[in-house]
Amino acid sequence: MENEKKMPQLNPLKFRAKVFDQMLSEDTGYSNYSYWRSTFRTFFKSKAVVVLVVLICAIILMSFIYPLVSDVDPNKVALKRKMWNNRPSWEHLFGTDGLGRDIWTRAWYGVRNSFLLAFCIALSDVGIGMIVGAIWGYNKKLDPIMIEIYNIITNIPSTVYLVLLAYIMNTSYLTLFISMASRGWIVEARFFRNRILSIRDSEYNLASRCLGTPMRRIATKNIIPHIISLIIMEAALCIPYSIGSEVFLGFVGIGLPVDAITLGNIVNQGRASFTLHPYQMLLPTIILCIITVAFYVIGNKFADASDPRNHV
Amino acid sequence: MQHNGHLGPCIFSAKDVEIQFNLRGKTLTAVRKASLDLYQGETMAIVGESGSGKSVFTKSFIGMLDKNGAVTGGQLLYRGQDLTQFKTEKEWLAVRGKKIAMVFQDPMTSLNPVRTIGEQITEVITWHFGTPHAQARQEAIEILKKVGISDAETRYKQYPHEFSGGMRQRVVIATAIACRPEILICDEPTTALDVTVQAQILNLIRELQRELKMTVVYITHDLGVVANVADWVSVMYAGQIVETGTAEEIFSSAVHPYTKALLRSMPQLGVKGHDLYSIQGTPPNLFKEIKGDAFAPRNPDAMEIDFEEEPPLFQVSDTHFAKTWLMHPYAAEHRDALALQDAKEKEKQKPAAPFDYQNAEKLLQVQDLTVKFKLGSREFKAVNNVSFDIYKGETLSLVGESGSGKTTIGRAIMRIYNKVDGSIIFGGEKINGKIDKKKAKELHMQMQMIFQDPMASLNERAKVDYIISEGLYNYHLFDNKEDRLKKVENIMAEVGLSSDFSSRFPHEFSGGQRQRIGIARSLVMNPDFVVADEPISALDVSIRAQVINLLNKMKRERSLTYLFIAHDLSVVRFISDRIAVIHKGRIVELAECEELFRHPLHPYTKALLSAVPYPDPKVERNKTLISYDPSVHQYDAFPPNWTEITPGHFILANEEELEGYRKEL
Repeated sequence: MENEKKMPQLNPLKFRAKVFDQMLSEDTGYSNYSYWRSTFRTFFKSKAVVVLVVLICAIILMSFIYPLVSDVDPNKVALKRKMWNNRPSWEHLFGTDGLGRDIWTRAWYGVRNSFLLAFCIALSDVGIGMIVGAIWGYNKKLDPIMIEIYNIITNIPSTVYLVLLAYIMNTSYLTLFISMASRGWIVEARFFRNRILSIRDSEYNLASRCLGTPMRRIATKNIIPHIISLIIMEAALCIPYSIGSEVFLGFVGIGLPVDAITLGNIVNQGRASFTLHPYQMLLPTIILCIITVAFYVIGNKFADASDPRNHV
Repeated sequence: MQHNGHLGPCIFSAKDVEIQFNLRGKTLTAVRKASLDLYQGETMAIVGESGSGKSVFTKSFIGMLDKNGAVTGGQLLYRGQDLTQFKTEKEWLAVRGKKIAMVFQDPMTSLNPVRTIGEQITEVITWHFGTPHAQARQEAIEILKKVGISDAETRYKQYPHEFSGGMRQRVVIATAIACRPEILICDEPTTALDVTVQAQILNLIRELQRELKMTVVYITHDLGVVANVADWVSVMYAGQIVETGTAEEIFSSAVHPYTKALLRSMPQLGVKGHDLYSIQGTPPNLFKEIKGDAFAPRNPDAMEIDFEEEPPLFQVSDTHFAKTWLMHPYAAEHRDALALQDAKEKEKQKPAAPFDYQNAEKLLQVQDLTVKFKLGSREFKAVNNVSFDIYKGETLSLVGESGSGKTTIGRAIMRIYNKVDGSIIFGGEKINGKIDKKKAKELHMQMQMIFQDPMASLNERAKVDYIISEGLYNYHLFDNKEDRLKKVENIMAEVGLSSDFSSRFPHEFSGGQRQRIGIARSLVMNPDFVVADEPISALDVSIRAQVINLLNKMKRERSLTYLFIAHDLSVVRFISDRIAVIHKGRIVELAECEELFRHPLHPYTKALLSAVPYPDPKVERNKTLISYDPSVHQYDAFPPNWTEITPGHFILANEEELEGYRKEL
């Protein structure tokens, strides 16, 4: 054939048997794909995500560092009338409120307190939810009871429930925490139950059972590593929800006591004087919006990125 | 190219096609300059293992590559028109479905579950031809009749879930031929189906081809299917067509080392008691540039030139081409040496003596095992009153179609399903129901399981080291860390894995390697009895032989007893001492391997045996299918019993049937 004519310079000595190399034949065709590396690569591919992650980190860092380095007391009330309701200036970057308190300072304290509260709630929701969800997923007998609990808790409107609890107990951080954490876990539990149910009977878990692996090790080695990305995502989505609830409760006037500095209280106070001094609501609302939107976007993008099907 | 053995004109020609994918920032060349000609009215089979690029290659014919892939070179000429020049979907629609149609592997995912099957076919017709709905409906009913769906008018209004797997695949074929395409590409059309159904579907496609004068392209890894259907065969490896010729030529006088190795590694051709010929290693990495012959690293008889220069396509006969340096005149000496070596090897193989049941002791007894599952409020018996014994040192195979309950039996024995009726006795003690912790621990050390799917049976987030030592950790079967690592290293060496693999994660391995990790994981416990649940059915042909050999080697060296669960009788014949055939939760026949193949009695066994594909076109073309109709039994009036009809040959039958069977013997 013509191909042969093209290659006349072949060396006949090359047509000898070569020694077989076992290792060479085992050289796999499989890429060195790593789940976490691919997840983060897909996650940070979107520019919006990078911007939002940087922004969120900056805001949270600021809210923790600012109270440490600044000597302005967020509760310092000015007695002189001319210090009240000041418009933004160099001295008060975002002006002062009706009592002459510096809004810039209060906003950072507020972010810190609200974020800490939301973080605790997210931690308890996802933590309790995961444990309950795991037990629920592994015990079919629990199904009827757990479904009833789920129905009861989720069918009571959260507003009514929160308002009632806030009336019963004294308003404090703890009250707010209890009232929100006492209902959030069930939603998470159901979510994790469904996920665990789908991987519970997969072959690698059956294999572990055949090897007699105790439950504790199945949970820590087989289950949790597979749903850790879901845990992160759920926690990320829990934070803006909790901050939102806190603001909402503050807004309807049953949140934390007036002297507590939280985003909810600041927004609420800003709202009172909104018609005369709209700038007072500006900074806290902007920060609130950024935090909520950013956490939602990050959480959802992370969920997408953690799905191996999107690792292209 | 005057006389080329083809009957019709060439209608499709792929020339030097190169297809690349962008995967996580790297370029994967899935198809490397593959060429293929399709002639009118003929059947071409493309054979290759997963990752050889066979699917991707044919998908490019209808412009259905995934988004990250593209044809980066070559031409796709369909009746003189170059399809690679197509830019828009609209251009493709004139060809896709209408001229070139495709049938996919899984009938469940290729039908829309929320629309009636009739509507789905009608839609295809109205979409491509603009036929009025009423007329298209009539046509759709005609097509349904044509693909062998009885009572087509009623079936027209039904949804996919109301059809069985085989029926669903018929519907998929109906939608594919609705526009009377010239070329029908069948991508593993029967892989998801049972053997008996598979044979029917292959027959159907053949009839339709004759009637509609279509060109059919089969993509498959099953050489038995190829022998059954193909006029022409192209063998694909690492994105290239390495050999092409008529079916007879490929099966009787293959030239390329890969084709030869594939054919030799078929378990049908193995000699009992000897190692099956197996292809070493794993398929190459297509991310890297491949130098020389892609198969060379796995070919023990490769020449030096194979590693350096890519071989051209040599002509073997008018119709037979092969891409291997072996055909070069310089290689004559090497070729002769190989032929001599082959002949020698064939001579020395004599089958091993059958298992001695006279002096065997019973290791496991299953008595009247019944496993029930609840489906909503209904209860159904997945396993119905099954009894059998397993002797120490034998391999008992459990063969049946999907849903027959074979896996359930295996899992009941492994105590994964513990709520079962009847009794399972292992080493003289009853092991189903409640047992104490100490006994459970003992059982975990004595009984192990090997799983079907190497992709799903390994924990993706754990290192190989942990996966293999999981059992050791559970019962603290090691003195210290060094001892444990040593044990892991030993077992890895035994299954043929390098010990540097232990710090890697499962996804870095190929299917065959993963299955070996799975085997190592169960055997590190030093069990006496192993339940192997379809351990090779998810593996490629070239890898199957490796794993079969490994299982046999382990059995010899550790005197294991296997319960081997499979759906493929041909594989089972090579490895098992006795075979039990299971149908709808009941074992219908159990006999020693050769006895069962020589004197199958139960009609279901006969049907199963007749449907098994055999990798030889002469055998395949002349075979007659026997179909099994359960209504031949009158079990309502005369219930069947589990009877030993001749020593060691058990059958499920009632008195009347037994009479008939005795006469047959």
